[in-house]
Amino acid sequence: MSSLELVAPSLTDVEMVAAEVWSSFLGDEEPLLIGPPAELTVGWSAAVSVSGEWQGMISVELSAEMADQVTRRMLCLDDGPLPDEDVADAVGELVNMIGGGVKSLMPGPSALSLPVVAAGRVARPSDVTEVCRFDAQWAGSPLVISVHIQSPKI
Amino acid sequence: MKILVADDSRVMRQIVIRTLRQAGYVGHDVVEAENGRDALEKVHSESPDLVLSDWNMPEMNGIDLLAALRSSGSTVPFGFVTSEGSPDMRARAEAGGALFLIAKPFTPEAFDEALSPVLKG
Repeated sequence: MSSLELVAPSLTDVEMVAAEVWSSFLGDEEPLLIGPPAELTVGWSAAVSVSGEWQGMISVELSAEMADQVTRRMLCLDDGPLPDEDVADAVGELVNMIGGGVKSLMPGPSALSLPVVAAGRVARPSDVTEVCRFDAQWAGSPLVISVHIQSPKI
Repeated sequence: MKILVADDSRVMRQIVIRTLRQAGYVGHDVVEAENGRDALEKVHSESPDLVLSDWNMPEMNGIDLLAALRSSGSTVPFGFVTSEGSPDMRARAEAGGALFLIAKPFTPEAFDEALSPVLKG
C-alpha cells in the first residue's frame, strides 16, 4: 500500500506523546494504558491539523464519562455541574498538546491549527487515510488517538 | 509582581496558574487574557512584569502579539507556553525577543527553570 510508505508517526511515537500529556496533567495514579481495541461510544472528540512540510490530522475520541473525568482532573474539580464549554475546552487542549507533540516529530516547518471539538465524532475529510491508531484505556474507559494523512492521488 | 497569562483555553490558563504556584511563585498578581489582542490591551492597561503566552490563539497569535508589543515600544519580559517546541519555533520565538519557550506538557520544574532568571534574578 503506497499510503503506508508516506511519512507518519509510529504507534510508539503517539503512545509516548500521549503518555507524557497524561502524566503531566492527569497524574500518574492512573496511567494511560495500551488498548485493547474496544467498542467506543464517542461522547466527545477533537482534532487538530498540521499543514506544511508534513500534513496530517490528529484526533482524540473518548466517552462522555472520560471527557468529564479528564476535565475535572485538569481543572482540579470534584463533584458538581460541569459546563459543556469546560469539557470542550479540556478535550481541545488534550488534542492540541498531543497534536503539537506529533507535529514536533514530523518533518517541518509546519503549522498547527486551532483544535476543532465536537460532542460526538469530528467529521474527517473523505480523502484521508488512517496511518496510526492508538487504542488506550484510562481509568477503565477506552479512548482512541488516531493520525490521518491525505490519501495519495491515484 | 504581576504576571499576564494569555491562552484561549480557560482550562490551560488555570493549569498555568496552578503550575506557577507549584513552582513556588506564590503571591504574584495574575491577569488573564483570552487571545493575543486581549493580551496586547492588557499589557498596556495592566503593566505586567512578565507575559506568559500561548502561541496558537484566535484573533491574534502569540508571535504576532510579541511583534506588536515590541513595535509599540514595550520591553515587557515575554515567554511562550505552547504545545509546540520545535527548533523552528524556538528560533522564531528567540528572534522575536522571547526569553524562553516552555513546551506543553510542562512541569513545575520547567517553569522554575525558565522563570527564575526573570522573577528571582
